[in-house]
Amino acid sequence: MIERLGFRIEPRSETTAKGRALAVGVALAASLVLCALLFLAVGVSPFAAFQSLAQGAFGTWRAATETLVKATPLIFTGLATAIAFRARLWNIGAEGQVFAGAMFAYWCQSALAGNSAWIQLPVIVLGAMVGGGLYAGLAAILKTRFRVDEVISTVMLNYIIVFALSLLLLKGPWSEAGGFFEQTAKVDPGSILPILFDKTRLHLGFLLALVAAAFVYLMMKKSPVGFEIRAAGSNLRALEVQGTNSRRVILMVMLISGALAGLAGMSEVYGVHYRLKAGAITSYGYTGIIVAILGLLNPWGVVIAAILFGALVNGATFMQIKTGVPSALIYAIEAILLLFYLAGWAASSFKLKRIKP
Amino acid sequence: MTTAPATPRLTVRHLTKRFGTLIANDDVSLSIAAGELHCLLGENGAGKSTFSACLYGLLQPEAGEIAIDGVKVELTSPAKAIASGIGMVHQHFVLVPSFTVLENIVVGTGSGPRLDMTAARSRILELSRQFGLEITPGRLVADLSVGEKQWVEIVKALYLGARLLILDEPTAVLTPQESERLFAIIQQLKASGIAVILISHKMNEVMRSDRVSVLRKGRLVGTVTTKDVTRDDLTMMMVGRPVAQVHARSKPGAGETALSFKGVSLAKGGRTHLKNVTLDLAAGEIIGIAGVAGNGQDELLEAVAGLVRPDSGNILLRGEDISVLSVHDIARRGAGYVPSDRFRDGLVSDFSIAENLILGQHWDERWRSGPFLDETATRRSAETAIASYSVMASGPDMLCGRLSGGNAQKVILAREFAKARHLLLCNQPTRGVDIGVIEFVHGELLRKREEGCAILLVSEELEDIFALSDRIAVMFRGEILGVFPRDEADITRIGPLMAGHAHGAAA
Amino acid sequence: MIADLLETSIIISVLAATVRIATPILLAALGEMIAERSGVYNMGLEGTMLMGAFTAYIGAYYTGSLWLGVVIAMITGGLMSLIFAFMVITLKVEQIVTGLALNLLGSGLSIFWLRAAFANAGQTPTTPFFDTVPLPLLSDIPFLGPILFDQKILTYVAILLVPATWYFLFRTRYGLELRCAGENPKALDIKGLNVAARQYAAVIFGGLMAGLGGAFLTVGSAARFVPEMTNGRGWLAIVIVIAGLWRPVPVLLATLVFSFLDALQLQIQGIGVAIPYQLLLAMPYVCAILALAIRRSHSGAPAMLGIPYWRR
Repeated sequence: MIERLGFRIEPRSETTAKGRALAVGVALAASLVLCALLFLAVGVSPFAAFQSLAQGAFGTWRAATETLVKATPLIFTGLATAIAFRARLWNIGAEGQVFAGAMFAYWCQSALAGNSAWIQLPVIVLGAMVGGGLYAGLAAILKTRFRVDEVISTVMLNYIIVFALSLLLLKGPWSEAGGFFEQTAKVDPGSILPILFDKTRLHLGFLLALVAAAFVYLMMKKSPVGFEIRAAGSNLRALEVQGTNSRRVILMVMLISGALAGLAGMSEVYGVHYRLKAGAITSYGYTGIIVAILGLLNPWGVVIAAILFGALVNGATFMQIKTGVPSALIYAIEAILLLFYLAGWAASSFKLKRIKP
Repeated sequence: MTTAPATPRLTVRHLTKRFGTLIANDDVSLSIAAGELHCLLGENGAGKSTFSACLYGLLQPEAGEIAIDGVKVELTSPAKAIASGIGMVHQHFVLVPSFTVLENIVVGTGSGPRLDMTAARSRILELSRQFGLEITPGRLVADLSVGEKQWVEIVKALYLGARLLILDEPTAVLTPQESERLFAIIQQLKASGIAVILISHKMNEVMRSDRVSVLRKGRLVGTVTTKDVTRDDLTMMMVGRPVAQVHARSKPGAGETALSFKGVSLAKGGRTHLKNVTLDLAAGEIIGIAGVAGNGQDELLEAVAGLVRPDSGNILLRGEDISVLSVHDIARRGAGYVPSDRFRDGLVSDFSIAENLILGQHWDERWRSGPFLDETATRRSAETAIASYSVMASGPDMLCGRLSGGNAQKVILAREFAKARHLLLCNQPTRGVDIGVIEFVHGELLRKREEGCAILLVSEELEDIFALSDRIAVMFRGEILGVFPRDEADITRIGPLMAGHAHGAAA
Repeated sequence: MIADLLETSIIISVLAATVRIATPILLAALGEMIAERSGVYNMGLEGTMLMGAFTAYIGAYYTGSLWLGVVIAMITGGLMSLIFAFMVITLKVEQIVTGLALNLLGSGLSIFWLRAAFANAGQTPTTPFFDTVPLPLLSDIPFLGPILFDQKILTYVAILLVPATWYFLFRTRYGLELRCAGENPKALDIKGLNVAARQYAAVIFGGLMAGLGGAFLTVGSAARFVPEMTNGRGWLAIVIVIAGLWRPVPVLLATLVFSFLDALQLQIQGIGVAIPYQLLLAMPYVCAILALAIRRSHSGAPAMLGIPYWRR
């Protein structure tokens, strides 16, 4: 079609970092414009809306820490997704693995209620990693032994575990005695993640997330495990020909990815909500995928993108109060950002070439 | 040469095609008469493929013009080329295996929503009768032999009305017998006035053409009438310097048995890949496996490397049964494996040279300090490898995806030669690289042999096999049909075996 | 209580429900089958269906016409898949990632728009919805009549699409070219045919069908929009295409199996059998994984499915 206008789209032989940054920058600006149009569509001045977003996210010390609270689970799920995507394993299941982590941690911890924090805290951390890891491992086994595509298995597992949690919570063994909602009772005080600063909600989970990012950074960049993950992402077959068992690599990647996602569930349940319920742990997995991609699948990039998204979530509540724009808008904004970013990134590897009329 | 009519079928004037700073075709001019078999000769990367892609409208030249039967044409797309009467048979088959022969030929032709299969079928049968191409329209392409697929490709081009047919390395996958058939078909095409461009680097085929155009580094060295020149003249034109033919080599050493196959069989996907293979390979010996691609050579090497498990039989490396060991364990016992598809099986394109050199050994103590990879050590070893294999690269950090085919092959050789203390498995080591690298690879293989390494060499280039082997084994449908010492092996004995004809059968 | 399930009237009601429940999934699956036959995996089906469901609802609400709602849903589905096609065919972005982005977009936009349109999130208004249209004579056939011929028009459309897509794929020139694009696009390209144009057309057709399927969920049955109401149906449609070996009739059969599970579940809940409803609801997803794990044949997939075509 475009040929009729006398142009042709051709791949560039080399994509420069400058060209890439430019294309991505244009794409992000375009997505901001689109968001502004959405604000106008609901009759709100975009400036007022963006301002209230920023104010809600960073306006006060408390707001800023709250942004970090919102960013914490996203750092975990972003890291989880980044590792899997680096290996070109399309683990869409961080969402379900967050549930699995939270549920397994809760199961382990509830048996130890009353013990000291020194016992309970390590147990919830390990439990979350085991739970998330096992649930992701299931998808790995389905892929390597039964040739079930991981995209589909992880999505299906996401749906399934929501029903499993509901089964346990609604008139199930975990439901709050005499409670009306689908949720557990408050967890034992000894299992609560300590608050970092007075008069804020910022908890130990945030530090844990930073430690996880550092760990992922070192692992990916320096260790033989990271070497294998990166090689698998580029050419799994060459790795196999050189004597590395690809099934082992797939299982390993999924276990690590799931374990990281599981920590997000633990951190929300024991750091923010102090009880297990679906609403406390929903949607972090899917948002984590956007965070991972916008963070260039790089651990520190993930941390930055997660804080940005934490700010969006946090600011949106304030924006809804101030301007009446539904906070649900941020989900649309996130998706638009992702689409434009992907398009910009891809477009920078093409060029328009004038052809002879 | 046929008596040329006033206007040639194809005229190309001053064709130039650039990729960035690289000039793939530099001011190429030539003309081809109707009914002429014109050969395009050149090394890998000389610009043959670019030239034919420009003729077929797949690439647009920056300058120059093309005329068919004296009429200037703008070949901005394959559709234009087809409309101008240009047809092309690509080096790799462009067929849909799950379609029938008929569907493969008909797809993309005709008008309106209806498929008129009856008319198409009779046209196809008519074409195949006219040119002696034996094809059955109703068969699935997946069930065809390699030769039959090639005939389908030719009918496909003729069905579209080709008056100029470009054949890109058409015999690479054919048996000697099938190649003969191809030349018979080409005779028929010529007789009906179709001009044929044959892209090849096999001298015996080139010599059967009417005229030859030789390309070197994108430039046309010259167009000559074939009967006026010798093979050596053409080689000289193609390479630009005399080529050292013979490597000095010692007598085959009577080394100990390094590798032995004992009745190895393998079948997968309903096909027999290896059938009761029994063969011994001595230390310091090179055995070349001759055969048409896809007759079990890949599986033979993969079975030794541990990538596939034989169904029965044993493979012994220095007396130890390795048929149950993992790829990693076999490599640790001193076996190196150079795979045929280097960017698919041999290298990680997004990894640096240094990283590719430790691929598979990345858990080794040598390359680690504590839990981490020791970058100093890997870089140092990469620098050594780059120097001693004269890899053209900016340094150890250069990504392998940016290397040329020849340099990528050198990186693989560096890694595998280091592993190969006792055995080297080499699959198509010279495919797609230019003569300089071929000479280098030959030299390195012989050096490795002198060191006492046993080498199992698979190549579709019989020249490789004859130049290097101490003994030559011929494989057909997974079976070894014969093993000859090199002095007793020649094409008249090996050719029929490659096509599955037993000893003594007439070629 | 098991005996209750075997009563004829109950069997008829379960089977009729099966056909009804199958409608949106069948529409989406047939569209996806066409897209995948051309070599493109539209993983954004879930979000496309969701937007179809939402725009049909909001369209019918504002225009007062159910059919306008349906048209709007199809246009929306077509636009969503146009975005997808541009991203993956022209820009060659990873198909899985683009699909996810589209799903998130569908989910985000529909919730936002719903909240923006109706301030009271708890009570969104209902629209009318399509009635069943019993076919004369045919609906009087005992047993089969009420199951097959007392359905809504969109259901008839979905069922008729099965032979229609079959005829298109296997008996027309365009179908042959489309399949060729999925098996070996180069074979089209070297004959001078535009691969991208065929893939765009196939993907957009898939989007129209997903939009139509989504519309059935709101103006076809529920009469209102609930956030995330597609609830995995788009993903199930993708599974069904795989389980149905990319062929119309097996796709229909696979759709009916999944819908039967759902219909049975409704019936069992209706009679009040003491099985936790979560187990019944999770069944289609568990079955989807099992269906993929135990299938014996891995053939049937277009050879170049999911792999962008570059001319080299």
